[in-house]
Amino acid sequence: MKTKRQIQKEATRKLILDAAYQVYANEGFSATTNQIAKAANVSHGTIFVHFPTVDNLIICLLERFGSEINEHLHLLSEKDESLETFLAAHINVLICYEDFYKRLISEINSLPQEAKYVFINIQSVVSLHLNQVIERDKEQKVVKEIPMHIIFNSWLGLIHYYLTNNYLFAAGSVLTDHKDELILNYIKLIRK
Amino acid sequence: MKTCIACGMPMKKESDFAMGDTSKEYCVYCAKEDGSMQSFEEKKQSLINFTIKTQGLEETVAEKAVEAMMRQLPAWKTRF
Ligand SMILES: [Zn+2]
Repeated sequence: MKTKRQIQKEATRKLILDAAYQVYANEGFSATTNQIAKAANVSHGTIFVHFPTVDNLIICLLERFGSEINEHLHLLSEKDESLETFLAAHINVLICYEDFYKRLISEINSLPQEAKYVFINIQSVVSLHLNQVIERDKEQKVVKEIPMHIIFNSWLGLIHYYLTNNYLFAAGSVLTDHKDELILNYIKLIRK
Repeated sequence: MKTCIACGMPMKKESDFAMGDTSKEYCVYCAKEDGSMQSFEEKKQSLINFTIKTQGLEETVAEKAVEAMMRQLPAWKTRF
């Protein structure tokens, strides 16, 4: 059993993480802890009771974000899914977190080293699923002879290019607008 | 939903679990042929190889990323 105090502590922690997620999505990772405290409606000091440093806050937030994506992707993907279904699932998950994810991929190089490793692990979940689908397609000889990492990086490169240059391609959500086109043509590129 | 204690994968279907046994705490990918859980070193190496194969990462980067991930998992808490 959790004590009342523990429950309270976890609730505040969640409140801060939720606020940080929103503030970083809107303002980017240079947003201050003051802004986050304000959004969470807690005192500035409270943040540091739960997260000793800003880096620690960012890392915890990314870890939570990673496990959400992980679960979400796992629920959407089926055992014998097609390449189309998986790619659509990936884009649909990202659409749910689009503003935050856009900030993350644009600013990842300026984030702490540890955050970069968390970011790699978020992508590992995607590459795990994609790898399963591609291995099956390779057995059926419908995919070109391209190394797995190039298949994966090309997909990520494509959607990241559209995301980071959103303004070139859409007035609103670039993934929503271009989802079908990107999936269809990416598949044409890698299929025999 | 249960998640694998050794790699963090969510386990929802029977086939996600080691030996298809839903009472197990680890997944089908973390089990050895006899059904027991892979050791720390085995798991670490296989995750590194996998990351390199699927994402093309440089070896030391892959190793650091895998360590960062394993550090979070209940099965390996004592290794860090
Ligand atoms: Zn596992």
